[in-house]
Amino acid sequence: MTGRSTNQRYLLWLALGTATMAIAMAALLAFELAQKRTIEQSSSLRSDSLTALVFQFEREFLRFRQALDKEVTGSVPIDAQNLTLRYDLFLSRVALLRESPGLSVLDSRPEYQELMPRLEDLVRRSDAAMGASVLDRGALALLLDQYNALGASVQAVSHAADSEVARLLERQSTTMLDQNDLIVALTLAQLLLLLGASAALALRHRRQEKERLALEKLTEDLLEARIQAEAANRGKSQFLANMSHELRTPFNGMMGMLGLLEATPISAEQADYIKTAQRSAHHLLTLLNDILDVSALEAGKITLKPHPVDFRCLLMDVEALMQPHATAKGLEFSLVHMQPSDASARWVMADETRLKQILFNLVNNAIKFTERGEVKVTIAQSRESEQSVRLAIAVRDTGIGMDAQGMAQLFQRFYQVDGSATRRFGGTGLGLEISQSLANMMGGAITVTSALGVGSEFTLSVPLAACEPPPAPAMAAVPMPVAPPAVTLTEAVQPQGVANAPKVLVVEDHPINQKLVGVLLQRMGCAVAFCENGQLALDRVAQERFDLILMDVSMPVMDGLTATRAIRAMDGPVAATPIVVLTADVMNEAVQTARDAGANDFLGKPVAVDQLRAVVAKHVER
Amino acid sequence: MKSVLAKSVVVSLGIVMLGALQPASALEPPKGKVVLTISGKIGQKNTANAATFDMAMIEKLPQQTFTTMTPWDKKPIEFTGPLLRDVLGAAKAQGSVIKAAALNDYQTTIPVEDAQKFDVVVAHKMNGANIPIKTKGPLFIVYPFDKKSELRSTVYYERSAWQLKSMVIE
Repeated sequence: MTGRSTNQRYLLWLALGTATMAIAMAALLAFELAQKRTIEQSSSLRSDSLTALVFQFEREFLRFRQALDKEVTGSVPIDAQNLTLRYDLFLSRVALLRESPGLSVLDSRPEYQELMPRLEDLVRRSDAAMGASVLDRGALALLLDQYNALGASVQAVSHAADSEVARLLERQSTTMLDQNDLIVALTLAQLLLLLGASAALALRHRRQEKERLALEKLTEDLLEARIQAEAANRGKSQFLANMSHELRTPFNGMMGMLGLLEATPISAEQADYIKTAQRSAHHLLTLLNDILDVSALEAGKITLKPHPVDFRCLLMDVEALMQPHATAKGLEFSLVHMQPSDASARWVMADETRLKQILFNLVNNAIKFTERGEVKVTIAQSRESEQSVRLAIAVRDTGIGMDAQGMAQLFQRFYQVDGSATRRFGGTGLGLEISQSLANMMGGAITVTSALGVGSEFTLSVPLAACEPPPAPAMAAVPMPVAPPAVTLTEAVQPQGVANAPKVLVVEDHPINQKLVGVLLQRMGCAVAFCENGQLALDRVAQERFDLILMDVSMPVMDGLTATRAIRAMDGPVAATPIVVLTADVMNEAVQTARDAGANDFLGKPVAVDQLRAVVAKHVER
Repeated sequence: MKSVLAKSVVVSLGIVMLGALQPASALEPPKGKVVLTISGKIGQKNTANAATFDMAMIEKLPQQTFTTMTPWDKKPIEFTGPLLRDVLGAAKAQGSVIKAAALNDYQTTIPVEDAQKFDVVVAHKMNGANIPIKTKGPLFIVYPFDKKSELRSTVYYERSAWQLKSMVIE
């Protein structure tokens, strides 16, 4: 049974109940009205009571008879005036007996039927006797006899009237009782109906309550399921982050070793192999960074860090980097600045790394999917207000293009134009998703127009704040842990064993990384010592003074952050030893966590040689 | 306020002038047979204790005629006679209650208020003819039963005294 049909049935019952109730009430009303009418009717009929009328008649009959008797038996002259008055009053009562509507109920009584003709006859005789100019005692005496003879009949009518009234009252009370019974029955029926209705309502309410509870439970379950799903998703992101971290560590070593190998005396052929290996490794790093970026974006761990950027320099970097790729593929590459004049803001507040990342991605894609023709980048700036400009960078190609369906799926994860394209062009399929997410974070968006076989145009549109150029030295490279340049160890080997060489303790459990960082530091003229975990490092620094500690984070026995906190908590000057945390965990919050633990600086892995040099130079006094 | 005052002055003047025009407002003694005696709290007498009326005096008062059903007849009857309040006015009655008595010793109590509220008539004619005693005459106090439904009740039926003989004002 569906809820809808239940509801309809409920409404039907409600309507039926209401109709029944209404009918019962209408019947009650009709009865009440009928009763009212009966009462009104009887009251108008009983305006002068039956008994009173008959009684008054009998009274005047007796009074006249008495007056007659007095005149007949008396010896004084007849009091004609009084007798006439008594007779007239009696006549008025006879008239009422004859005419009054209140007496109509008596019409059917035999006593009345017996009396009336005799009474009329007597009245005729009386009229004759009373009408005489002089009242004759003899005639009156004769009349008296007739009045006496009628006495019994008059009294009989009196009794008849009494019994009629009694019957009337009885009938009325019977009627009232009957009606009362009906009213009681109807009221009872209403009561039952009402009880039934309340019971039905209560039942319905209970059922609704049950449904409501079920619904609530369902909501709770869904909520629970959602929380679980989110947890699972977080777990997945964490797994991705961990995996990329785990991948970075051996990768770091591989890159470093390739760099070291390149610096050894090798043949031209070997050098070429190494270059190829380095390019492959670099490509692998790019993919790794993509995966890391996506999981970081998903976990909300990426934040933008805008700083003053020379916009023209940025464009020149893009051109310089992309031009060779295009040329190598035989494509024409042009970068057109629509407003090259002073009208456009040269310095803007932007996260240079992320902005470049988007542009590289768009241009890379354009080059990747274009076999012949050109890739053209058009930059347009429009001032939105005194402080802000809107930047629109359009990357147009003459590549394979896409249809509407392709465009609709474009920004979805792992999407590539088609399966064969995946094979042909490679890549993770994460680039556009990352770029779009980053553009959104900047308050902008990437839009696309395309035609299959003709080409595509991707347009990045972002609002940027115009700013003043910063004082020159502030532009010193801030270590950007994400997407660091590949390690290139082209440094000239520094003389080793120099006296007064700064002492650096490298706390690192991974032997390859130990070796790599060790070699780099030695080339920079440092004396290097190694520890495999935090605990050993604590023991070491308690005995020996170091100018700098490079601390890995993930290590067995004691991790780097705990060790850092422990060193900071030590007594004496050792607590002030500069500590640089080295980790492959390059999420934004990792930097803050390291600083909170007491680290002076932070380096992302794989370690870039110039960043390492900058950090050493910063913290070690020579 | 001013106009009301002026109006009342005019009205009072009118009354005074009416009094002046009719100095014979004093009740004259009846010339024929007395049909109605009003006694008690009255301001106008033509015998030692009462104001008495013969039929001519009753007929001289302003007359009213209306037709109504009564509980005592099967047909509507046309009643003619002076308003009860005019009859009371003629005797300058000052009380609040009328004790009416009939030839057959019937007695009933009528609030004077009734005479003001309703056009109660002291009928001396039924259907245009004088009323003999044998048909509830010679005088019959009748309420206009058909005009107001509230009058069609035992209270007012009881107050309708026929064969009216006398009224005592209390």
